[in-house]
Amino acid sequence: MFEVIGTWVAAFCTLSIFSFLYKDNPFYRFVEHLFIGVSVGYGLPIVYHNVFIPYVYTPIFLRHEFIIIIPSLIGFLFVFRFHSKLSWLSRYPITFSMGMVGLGVPMSLHANTLVQMRSSMLPLTNINLVVIFVGTVTILFYFFFSKAHEGTYKSFTRIGVWYMMIGFGASFGYTVMARLSLLIGRIQFLVGDWLGLIQ
Amino acid sequence: MNFFERIQKLDRRWIYLLVALTVGIPLVFVYDSPTHTTETTENIYQMIDNFAEINERGDERRAILMNFQHDASTLPELGPMQVAILRHAFLRGVPVFTFTIFTTAAPLIDLTIDNVKRDLQQQHPDIEIVSGVHYINIGFKPPALYLPIILGMGDDIAEALETDAEGRNIADLPMMEGIRNYDQMNLVLHFSGSDFGQAWFMYARSQYGVNVASGITAVIAPDTYPYLQTGQLIGHLGGLKGAAEYEKMVDLFAARGRPFSRDIARSEHVSIVDEDVPILFRTARIGMNSQTAAHLMMIIFIIVGNVGYFAEKRKEAKQMDL
Repeated sequence: MFEVIGTWVAAFCTLSIFSFLYKDNPFYRFVEHLFIGVSVGYGLPIVYHNVFIPYVYTPIFLRHEFIIIIPSLIGFLFVFRFHSKLSWLSRYPITFSMGMVGLGVPMSLHANTLVQMRSSMLPLTNINLVVIFVGTVTILFYFFFSKAHEGTYKSFTRIGVWYMMIGFGASFGYTVMARLSLLIGRIQFLVGDWLGLIQ
Repeated sequence: MNFFERIQKLDRRWIYLLVALTVGIPLVFVYDSPTHTTETTENIYQMIDNFAEINERGDERRAILMNFQHDASTLPELGPMQVAILRHAFLRGVPVFTFTIFTTAAPLIDLTIDNVKRDLQQQHPDIEIVSGVHYINIGFKPPALYLPIILGMGDDIAEALETDAEGRNIADLPMMEGIRNYDQMNLVLHFSGSDFGQAWFMYARSQYGVNVASGITAVIAPDTYPYLQTGQLIGHLGGLKGAAEYEKMVDLFAARGRPFSRDIARSEHVSIVDEDVPILFRTARIGMNSQTAAHLMMIIFIIVGNVGYFAEKRKEAKQMDL
């Protein structure tokens, strides 16, 4: 029974959102606000049960691991973000978050730069590697702004521009495919789960 | 006003209606169509199949981790690939861990597992999938613990995660027998609509050598190719197309008890109108029919729109000359 009610509610919400394609209307706005409210309302008890209870309440009050009080208090300082005079206190927990960024720098440099550079410096043994080599070099030259893009140099950087345009086109094609997939998912729900037309 | 001028001034709501019909009709009237598999998808399938063979030999254990890093907004693309991978793992007896740091993904994990179990038992009544034995749903963990968990699992999975979604101690669950760290749980599948698992190959792969693959929305699929080329990702499932490819391979091999072969995957056809296979296991391939129809429609619109644009410009130029 609850599954049937849930399907009808979901169908109503889906159609209300789609109604915006015709024009703005109260159904669309109602469902938009409902979505935000439900997301927040759902998140709060989940965080309470899965974060506060196992990582704060249980260690401190049941296992008596009082050392947890220190990070809990530091985390609590975030609340002062909403106080105009004491908001500076919220910067202390932020400093710990910034420390985590520092931890990621060497690993990120390795994964996103060094490994990528290494894989771009291979012997040009096949056509794919030649294509990658030409693309990498011409695009790097395009973003070298200390020299004016004129004459032969301009022709060279133009190749880089073409590479980028093809790349953007491929990305856009994938984006269209992604957006259509979302529409397909919703219509599959409407005609399948709701109307039962897909057998 | 000629045809092209009318097209240029067409109310966009007619286009929306046409798109809805183009997408909807192939979903209601399902027709058979081929699905061509690609290397990036085959790599993931092959690795999970290899894990199954290692487990069957009995001297070692292998498991996979599915990281649900998304909410319901990307479910139409990511859902079918998760279903296909879970079906593959359950059919081949590969232990599965599921995990998320998104509060809104926790119910999606339950939904996906429940749906796969229900339809798998409908298709194969002899197979019984039990929580804690065949899979462990770790559920939601706080985002602040993401990095400590990724690194901690390199030493001891049970110690890093402590409890599963049902509050049970992970170390006590039967599935953990012979599974300690990334040496056994050697494949991480990261599902997301916004990143392709950088954290996993930045920390877990570089330090512990775990294999990482991503199941991603088509929007970010092009971003993964540099990482596929370097081997940091062993494979990816790009949007609905990737899910459709994986669905086909599960139907072709795991569901029929056949060993994986790239040649067979690329040459043999599997019908998507086979009603013995639950609709859940054909969702992506049926969706690709609509995708094809919509792409054709868009190509036609782009051509007609451009012809109209140039025809109008030519007409304007002629009027200027006069």
